[in-house]
Amino acid sequence: MYKKITISDYPGYVIAFIFFILLFFVFKLQVIESGKFKNIAEKNIVRIQTIYPTRGEIYDRKYRPIALNIPSYNLYITPGKIVNKEKVSGFVSKHFDKEIDEIKKIIYENRYRSYQDILLIQNIPFEKMVKTSEQFNYYPSLLFKAEKVRGYYFANHFTGYTGRITEEEYRTLREKGYSINSNIGKTGLEKYYENILRGKNGQQVLQVDASGNNLDFFKHNLQIAPQNGDDLILTIDNDLQEYVSSIFPKNKKGSIVVMNIKTGGILAYVSKPDFDPNLFTGGISAKHWNELITNPNKPMLDRVIHGTYPPGSVYKPIMASLGLQEGIIDSKTKLAKCDGGMWFGNRYFKCWLKTGHGSLAIEDAIKYSCDVYFYDLSTRFSLEQINRYTKQNYLSTRTGIDLPGERKGFFPSRKWYIDNYGKYVGILGHKVNLAIGQGEILVTPLQICAYYSAIGNDGIWRRPHLLDKRIEAEQTFKNYVEQKHLPMSEETLRLIQNSLYATVNEKYGTGTAASIGGIKVYGKTGSAENHMGKITHSWFSGYAKCDKFEIGFDVFVENGGHGGSVSAPIARKLINYYYGIME
Amino acid sequence: MKKFEWLIFGLLILLMFIGIISIYTASSTKIEDDFLFANYFIKQFIWIIISMIILLLLLKAPNAMIDISIIPIYIITILLLILVLFLPEIKGSHRWISLNLINFQPSELAKLFTIMVISKLISKPFLSNGQILLRSFIVTLIPVALILLEPDLGTASIFFVILFSILIVSDLPKFYLILIISPILSIIFSFSFWIFIVYILLLIYILYRSNLDKVIMGFIVSVNTFIFFITPIFWNGLKDYQQNRILTFINPMRDPFGAGYQIIQSKIAIGSGGIFGKGFLMGTQKNMNFLPEHHTDFIFSVIGEEFGFFGCAFILLIYFLFLYKIAKSIIKIKRKEYRYVSVGILAYITFQIFINIGMNIGIVPTTGIPLPFISYGGSNLLINVTAIGFILKYLNERSIFA
Repeated sequence: MYKKITISDYPGYVIAFIFFILLFFVFKLQVIESGKFKNIAEKNIVRIQTIYPTRGEIYDRKYRPIALNIPSYNLYITPGKIVNKEKVSGFVSKHFDKEIDEIKKIIYENRYRSYQDILLIQNIPFEKMVKTSEQFNYYPSLLFKAEKVRGYYFANHFTGYTGRITEEEYRTLREKGYSINSNIGKTGLEKYYENILRGKNGQQVLQVDASGNNLDFFKHNLQIAPQNGDDLILTIDNDLQEYVSSIFPKNKKGSIVVMNIKTGGILAYVSKPDFDPNLFTGGISAKHWNELITNPNKPMLDRVIHGTYPPGSVYKPIMASLGLQEGIIDSKTKLAKCDGGMWFGNRYFKCWLKTGHGSLAIEDAIKYSCDVYFYDLSTRFSLEQINRYTKQNYLSTRTGIDLPGERKGFFPSRKWYIDNYGKYVGILGHKVNLAIGQGEILVTPLQICAYYSAIGNDGIWRRPHLLDKRIEAEQTFKNYVEQKHLPMSEETLRLIQNSLYATVNEKYGTGTAASIGGIKVYGKTGSAENHMGKITHSWFSGYAKCDKFEIGFDVFVENGGHGGSVSAPIARKLINYYYGIME
Repeated sequence: MKKFEWLIFGLLILLMFIGIISIYTASSTKIEDDFLFANYFIKQFIWIIISMIILLLLLKAPNAMIDISIIPIYIITILLLILVLFLPEIKGSHRWISLNLINFQPSELAKLFTIMVISKLISKPFLSNGQILLRSFIVTLIPVALILLEPDLGTASIFFVILFSILIVSDLPKFYLILIISPILSIIFSFSFWIFIVYILLLIYILYRSNLDKVIMGFIVSVNTFIFFITPIFWNGLKDYQQNRILTFINPMRDPFGAGYQIIQSKIAIGSGGIFGKGFLMGTQKNMNFLPEHHTDFIFSVIGEEFGFFGCAFILLIYFLFLYKIAKSIIKIKRKEYRYVSVGILAYITFQIFINIGMNIGIVPTTGIPLPFISYGGSNLLINVTAIGFILKYLNERSIFA
């Protein structure tokens, strides 16, 4: 019987038509073309491959290498292809010096990434690779890849090191294109300039079958080239750096910083004892790590910016210039007579020279480093005044060097004493102590170096920095161009400079061990008492000028003894050496 | 007499059951000989329970209460669509309102309530054709404009399907539909001068044969010609990335690292499943994490890989029976407004299924539209079940209003 089609039938027909189309295309894919897709799926042919950029390298001021990318063989594991987890972990542990639990942990952490290659071991010697790869038939999950790892030319603290990205870092950084196998800057310059050094990922679509035929899913844009990281050129001078490192007293702790007083660029940056950053490349072994962190000498501590110490007498020029600036003293003013010490209330504060210095004016007080002069001077100021002036000279404030985690140092305030001692008692005694760089005051060696460099640079303070420029962009960093004036007049400055010159070059000056004919060396010694041991910290800081160069330096030896006898001779050696290589 | 549509309800339950199984396998990973499961299928089960409760409440709710709340909810939805534009981007667009429990898309709600409001406004008696057109267009274009700003081209296109489907069953003379379709075609054809000429001649012929008023005819032709001239100007005014977005929407293969790659991987997964599939939990492509959304938008590819052509055909059959049964039943609903709502919902569910499966097998553009009742996702499931709930309710009560 004929039935007329009505409007009410249309939706049904439309739906039937739509599902017919879908069924047809599903049939086409799963029945007609199925063979082709099965092949692609099995062989994992079509996939996106990330092309990782080459990390920027680090060079010294004369383009000599400090950190380079070195070819290496790396061992990877594909969790989805593991036959027996115990056996494969045992095999890797046996041949590649890694704890079996560490390997199992890596496999466990990456259990969801079944078809990604996960980095296990970096930097495998060629012979070992050849030897072990013969047995890879039994372990289909393992494979070698020829890649590059970071290599450092000398032990140091400023480059820092790169290391395998942690699970936590990966979670926050994956958006930025890091893979689970990425190496990432962990400390030092490697961390500070991570974004510049790293570069940008590229991508590539693989769609070529086993016999090399292009599958032709895509016609365009099959590759986005990676952008390699920029190379960094540092202000460091490798020769000076290595020499300075070699003359530091054996078995002592401390630091030496040398910088260009005109620019603030650091020429040598040594903290002792040091460690080899190459240990960290490809993951540090548990054995080495334990050695480093349990070592009582703390080789991982960067004493230049992470160590804070009482400055002792190297602080005195700041007190002196405060006195001159405020008009309390002038070049001729003589303060309390030093007969080996001075009474404040019921406490007796000793001068380092038991026999006493007599009555001195400012230049001699610095030259002989007379404590009594500065005790007396400190009584003319409030604690807040001294605190503020110290900060204005860029102590107890970060210098802003291009390294992560710089310490601020410390100068106590009235509030601090109230918070810590309950009430504001005995302040006179504290203040007197602070005036000679003892007591609660703490500084980093870098702050001291920057201060003396600024004195040498006619009062213009420059931010210490390691990066000179980026090679790719030829870009010099603007924030290092800024100039800041120390809060002192021309007259004050000349007087301080003359005092520092006298300290090194005049008879009975405390720093005469650093004097060199033909070079004008300025400096100040410091022997700071401290709670770390009976022997004083040895400081010598200052600057040297000749027709070839102008450098500022700071030599610091933890519990080394007297500044004049321990640190000053080291300073002399480094200046002499630098004079020699500046041909 | 009240009559509950048990067949429709039963098929709905079956689809959601298939969903649970599919989510279970789609979110599993095989390592060595063990399987690891994400807990998505449990969450989905909880959402199904919640949806069923809402469905039950809806069936019991008095019609008067629903009638007075439609327009306020529509207005709230529009406000939410405005609000979402000021929220931070998620995955490159402003689509989601992120709550602790779920990411909620206001556009989901907008679809359902646009259907309700159009139906309500155009089913009033004694409306002229012009009034019907004006009301339905305004109600549709407000959410469409906001959704295009998100931007979400796929969802915006659904609104035109809804509008078209409701108007086609309304009292509006059919040739008015040319008013909706012809500008869209004009935009598409304006990229080629000669194709556009052929198209406009064809349009004139159809209009002429429809014995239309000369004025209306002239209006339609001039509107289309205007669109032909304005489209290139508008196109060139777009920024490069906006042009790219539209071109990639039309042809995903332009973007081998994004949409195109997903479609290829989905086709590989489905194609490699063959006739019988690789077996429950045995899919390999899902393990490779090629498709980030394989328990949501690309769940059909997992079904295709593990259950093969038979599995796919079975699911298509269930969907077909479900929709066909609804189509046959709702025509009998006497009250105009409810009939329009039901047709709108039917079209909207059908279109989502077509777009999602079509995307999985690579015949339509990639959009973020999930597979109704099967894909993982709380807010989507809730809206879809509620929509079916309205149809069940109207079918349930049709005798009363007969």
